[in-house]
Amino acid sequence: MMRRRSILNDEGTSSRVNVTPMIDVVMVLIVFYLLVGQLATDRRARIALPSSATGIEETQRTDPIIIGVTIDGTRSLNGDAIELDRLEAQVSGMLARSPGTPVRVRADKDTPHRFVRPVFNVLRDMGVGKIELVTEQRP
Amino acid sequence: MSESGSPTRSRPLKQRNIFGNKGRFGPNMTPMVDVVLVILIFFMAATTIVGQEWFLKADLPEQREETSETNGFTLPTPMLDLELFVERDRVVARGLGPEAIGIDKVIERIEQMDADLSEGLILRIGASDEVPYGAIVAVHDAGNAKKMRVAIR
Repeated sequence: MMRRRSILNDEGTSSRVNVTPMIDVVMVLIVFYLLVGQLATDRRARIALPSSATGIEETQRTDPIIIGVTIDGTRSLNGDAIELDRLEAQVSGMLARSPGTPVRVRADKDTPHRFVRPVFNVLRDMGVGKIELVTEQRP
Repeated sequence: MSESGSPTRSRPLKQRNIFGNKGRFGPNMTPMVDVVLVILIFFMAATTIVGQEWFLKADLPEQREETSETNGFTLPTPMLDLELFVERDRVVARGLGPEAIGIDKVIERIEQMDADLSEGLILRIGASDEVPYGAIVAVHDAGNAKKMRVAIR
């Protein structure tokens, strides 16, 4: 009768390949690909930021209000698509809840100004006198 | 079960050898080192892919401020008013000299401005519908480098 193959060798230790580190590494790879993919989609594919040699780096802890404008004029508020006529109500609600929150505009460098100007006008009408234009650091 | 209530052991309890079977002791660090290295590499890669971001501050002046009002006692705010527009597929600007000039020239002239003259000067940028946002930021950046206060109409 054929003996069932033992997973233990003569010394009583396991002869199987230990897959635990591989699973660890693969899981981490998957998670990071997902994260990087998400970041790259948000920041790179849809919005190619203009570059600048001057600028201010992030130092404040409060989460800013981020208004995105893509090259085709699609606008977003903190990552969620929004129509221009709803932008004022949403942003003013946010500013009412936490006054002094910085407002940042993330627009594609090739976006025609006719898509960006209405955002500026909405903010101006709301009394937002200062904004921050997000750019990429020029090396 | 033994009399004391603890389960009986088939073999006598061996004293744990801190050196293990192969002269090692303590937890196996290999998986942790693997994971930490992968995390490190991916953070580095993510930073490179996404790029470092920062921001430029800009004023959004109210429309009524467009006309530089002054009375007999105050001086008008020193202001450089630029109007960008697209002409023959290139971005040009009016406001520096009598004729419209290309945006590269505008940036060059701003960069050449005397620091005493440029510091505190308000650079007000207006743009027509077709001007790409990047051109506005480029002019803004040049003004920022010369410590101008930049406003977008």
